[in-house]
Amino acid sequence: MKKSLVILRREWLELRRQRGLLLGIALMPALLTFIPIIVTYMVQHLPESFERPLPFEKINPVFLGMTQVERQQTFIGQTFAVMMLLIPLIVPSIIASYSIIGEKVARTLEPVLATPVTTGALLFGKCLAAGIPAVIITWICAAIFVIGLSLVTVSRRVLIAIVSPGWLVVLILCVPLIVMIAVTAMVAISSRVNDPRTAQQISAVAVVPVLMIFLGQLAGLLILSPLLALGAAVILAVLALASISLAIRIFQREVILTRWT
Amino acid sequence: MNAIETVGLTRAFGERIAVEDLTLQVPAGSVFGFIGPNGAGKTTTVRLLTALIATTRGSATVAGHRLGAENDAVHRSTGILTETPGLYEKLSAWQNLIFFAQLYDLDATRAAQQVERYLRMLGLWERRHEDVGSLSKGMRQKLAIARALLHEPAVLFLDEPTANLDPETARMVRDFIKELRQGGRTIFLTTHNLPEVDELCDLVCIFKQRLLRLDSPVNLRHDLFGRGTRVRLSGDPERWIQIVRELPFVNSVEAQDHALLIRLDDPDEQNPFVLERLVSSGARVQYVEQLKPSLEEVYLKLVGSDRN
Repeated sequence: MKKSLVILRREWLELRRQRGLLLGIALMPALLTFIPIIVTYMVQHLPESFERPLPFEKINPVFLGMTQVERQQTFIGQTFAVMMLLIPLIVPSIIASYSIIGEKVARTLEPVLATPVTTGALLFGKCLAAGIPAVIITWICAAIFVIGLSLVTVSRRVLIAIVSPGWLVVLILCVPLIVMIAVTAMVAISSRVNDPRTAQQISAVAVVPVLMIFLGQLAGLLILSPLLALGAAVILAVLALASISLAIRIFQREVILTRWT
Repeated sequence: MNAIETVGLTRAFGERIAVEDLTLQVPAGSVFGFIGPNGAGKTTTVRLLTALIATTRGSATVAGHRLGAENDAVHRSTGILTETPGLYEKLSAWQNLIFFAQLYDLDATRAAQQVERYLRMLGLWERRHEDVGSLSKGMRQKLAIARALLHEPAVLFLDEPTANLDPETARMVRDFIKELRQGGRTIFLTTHNLPEVDELCDLVCIFKQRLLRLDSPVNLRHDLFGRGTRVRLSGDPERWIQIVRELPFVNSVEAQDHALLIRLDDPDEQNPFVLERLVSSGARVQYVEQLKPSLEEVYLKLVGSDRN
C-alpha cells in the first residue's frame, strides 16, 4: 500500500504539470454539468408553440399531477442526469491512457520495475491515481448539478423527481464501479497501443451502455428505480471483478518488458 | 568472492532462444564488460540478472541472492541504468530521484541525503529543480546513473552509459565508473564502445546468444593474436622481412605501413635479439612498440568466426 501511495503521488505530481491534459479532463465534466442546468432553466421560457404535450404519464408515473413546465423540466433533467455517467468513463480513461502509454513511450517502466515494487502495487497505484479524481470529479459535478437544479427548477417536486433515489444509488454505488472498469479496461487497451488518443478512441465504445440507458429512458422503456440501480450495481461489480482480473493478467512485469516495448 | 554467478542460464521466447547456457562468474569489485552485436541477447541477460524476467533454465546468484527465489533482495542489491534514461520529463531532477528513493524504501531523511549526495557528485545539484525535459542528454544520463545508485547497490548494471554523449560528458561518466569501482562496487557494463571496455573493464565477455569468450582484455588479445612487437623502420620494410624470419624464435613477420609486425612468444626476452639483428643488418630503427591489436579486432575475429 505504501508503494502504491508513492506511485499515486508521483502520478498526480506529473498530472498537475500537464495543463493541456487537465483542461481535457475538466472540459467534458463541465459541459455535462452546466448544459443540463441551462437547458432545464430554458425549458420554462420556451415559446407556447414549443409546448407540445407528450404522454409523460405513460413514460413515468412520476409525472402524474405535474404541470406541463414541471413535466418538461423533469424529463430534461432526468435524461441529462443519466449522461453524467459519462464522466466516470471519460475522466479515468484520459488519465489512465496518459499514465500507462506515457510510461511506455518514455520507457520509464523498466527502471520502476527494477525496484522492489510489486506489479500489483504499481497497478493499484495507477488505478487509484486515475480512479480517485474520476470519482471525486463526478461527485462534485453531481453536487453542482443538484445545486444548479435547485435554483432553476420551477418546483421542489421537479428536483425530487430528477434527484431520485435510483439516481443517487447509481451515483454512490455505480460510479466507483464504472471508474474501476474504465481504468482496468484502459490498462488492457494501453498494453496494445502506443498513442493515448488511440486508446481513448477505442475506449469510447464504453459510452454505448450509457447511451442505451439514455435512449431507454427517452423512449420510456426504462425508469431508473432504486431496484434497477441496485441490479445495475451488481452487474457492474461482476464486470469490475472480471476487468480487474484481466488487468492483473495483462499487467505482469515480464509482459510489460517483453511485449509492451 | 563472485558478485554474479550463473550456471547454464537460458532464456527462450517461444521458439527463439535469446540467451543460451550462459555460465560465468563476475568477481566482486570488478568492472565486467559484456559486449556483443545488436540482438545478441545482452539486454535479455541484464533483465535476467536484475530479476526483471524469469529464466527458462539454469540458475544464477546476484550479490549472493538467488534469482527466482530471492528476487526482492536482488532488486535491492542491484541498480540499473537502462538503454534509455527512462525519466519522468515533467518532473524535476529532485522529484525523479526522490520518487525512486521511496520505491527503494529509503526513509525521507535518508532519501533526501542520498539524492543530494548523488546530485552533487554528478554536478546536477544546481539544476535539481528544473524539469528533466529541459536537461541535456548528458545530464539526463547522469541523472539516470544517480537513480541507479540511490540505494547503494552492490552490483550496478550499466547499459550503454556513454552512448550519444559528447566526449567531455562521456569522459566524466567513465571517470565516475572508475570511482565506483574503487569504492568496491561491481559493475556490469554493456556497451558497443570497445575502447571504453579496454579502458574500464577487468574482464570482457563476448556474447552472441551464448558466451563466445570470457577473459581479460589483455589475455583476449594474446590468445587470439599472439604477442609481438611493431618495429618502425626508415625505408621499405619489405627488405627486412627475410632477415627477421631467419631468427628461430620468430613466429611470423609481416610488413605494414613502414613497419614490421613481428609475432613472438616472449617479446620481453626476444626483442633485444630482433633489434640487434636488424641494426647489425643495416636497418634504421625509428620506433619500437608493443604489438597491441585493438579490442575491436578481437571482437570482430570472435563474432565473425561465430557467424561463419
